[in-house]
Amino acid sequence: MIKIHPTFSPDRFTYHVLLIQSCKSVGLSLSPVHQVLNLMTSNGFPPNKVSTDIAVRTLCSSGCEEQAIELVKELSSKDSPPDMYTYNFIVRHLCKNRPLSTMNSFIKEMREGFDIKPDLVTYTIMIDNVCNSKNLREATRLLGVLSEEGYKPDCYVYNTIMKGYCMLSQGGEVLRVYKKMQEEGVKPDLVTYNTLIYGLSKSGRVKDAKKFLNVMMEQGHVPDAVTYTSLMNGMCREGDPLGAVALLEKMEAQGCAPNSCTYNTLLHGLCKARLLDKGMKLYDVMKQNGTKLETGSYGTFLRALCRNGRVAEAYEVFDYAIESKSLSDVAAYTTLESTLKWLNKAREQGLVI
Amino acid sequence: MLPQRMKKVMTDNPKTLANLIDLVNLPSTLREFMGQSQTSRLGCFKRVWSYIKENNLQDPNNKNLVNCDEKLKSILLGKTRVELTELPTLIKLHFPKQPR
Repeated sequence: MIKIHPTFSPDRFTYHVLLIQSCKSVGLSLSPVHQVLNLMTSNGFPPNKVSTDIAVRTLCSSGCEEQAIELVKELSSKDSPPDMYTYNFIVRHLCKNRPLSTMNSFIKEMREGFDIKPDLVTYTIMIDNVCNSKNLREATRLLGVLSEEGYKPDCYVYNTIMKGYCMLSQGGEVLRVYKKMQEEGVKPDLVTYNTLIYGLSKSGRVKDAKKFLNVMMEQGHVPDAVTYTSLMNGMCREGDPLGAVALLEKMEAQGCAPNSCTYNTLLHGLCKARLLDKGMKLYDVMKQNGTKLETGSYGTFLRALCRNGRVAEAYEVFDYAIESKSLSDVAAYTTLESTLKWLNKAREQGLVI
Repeated sequence: MLPQRMKKVMTDNPKTLANLIDLVNLPSTLREFMGQSQTSRLGCFKRVWSYIKENNLQDPNNKNLVNCDEKLKSILLGKTRVELTELPTLIKLHFPKQPR
């Protein structure tokens, strides 16, 4: 089938390239992969863990998760079980792209058939997945299971759970997790503090959030753009965008560069609080830096401009949004059109001059 | 205030979207202005707006007003002055709803 040149004999890497290609061409059956694997064995390179990993990754990223599972089971029964990296990769992929039951049955089969148990990383992935779908009850249950299995939850697990509570805007719960973490003696990292500040800001507890900004600095963590933006978001929500702008200056003084999210948050906050002139100044800075607009702040900004009778400037913003590729033409135009429609209606009712 | 939800619906609704970006055979008046025989409503709006800017047709005292030149007048109902707020509505008149 393949002619082997005497001086250039294929080694493992050569076969791996072949393996990747065969995985990409997998349809419903695994026969092309089998062909390559057989070829490898017969030429003195029996597939090892690396081969398994390569095959699984390629299969998963081309959307053939079922085939990947099938292959893993086959290889496991041939004394070449996947290592934890491969295993966790599959779990993560299944979480993302398949119903939860598929993942659960995979874990069960691996545990029963080949004695491969989920480790701490696997549990983190699973908790992350349920947190993303806002199912905190399941996350708490998994946390219990994890402890039963003899693992001690680490920083990442806690961060993930905190993120889950953030999604539900439950600042109190986020704080509770943080306290529990300290009781357990787990050292919080930058992400922990960012999540904490984000969660507290989101649920309207800006005072507490500010307190933790100081705490984190005492602990030797340098607050980054995410920290400051979360805090600004909270301040804007509370109706204190001027304080948020002051924080922007402080942030820049400390050598932390704001990102597009920071600017958008501020613009949104300023426009909401009807401080259009300040918003306009900020927009000029954004324009100079080429910062992209986000859908939310774009809409708020347009409305604020139109409300103040500055329609021409709203049109310029529309141009900038398209020019800077912040939004698609359609999205930018629909927002503009509906804002103008709203303006005309308000004028008819005599609400706006 | 326009609720956020409504805006989302507008871009999500395939019919509204099709209305906006489908190519349409233009009437002769518009054809002359655009220099094309087919365009979408979105494309037409962008063309008109850039035409206004290129030819400095905005009123210097009130930027929200457009002083139409002859060419623009021909497509905007013959009005000499047009407010920017009504521009999308005026352009929409050239794109009647098509029965599907």
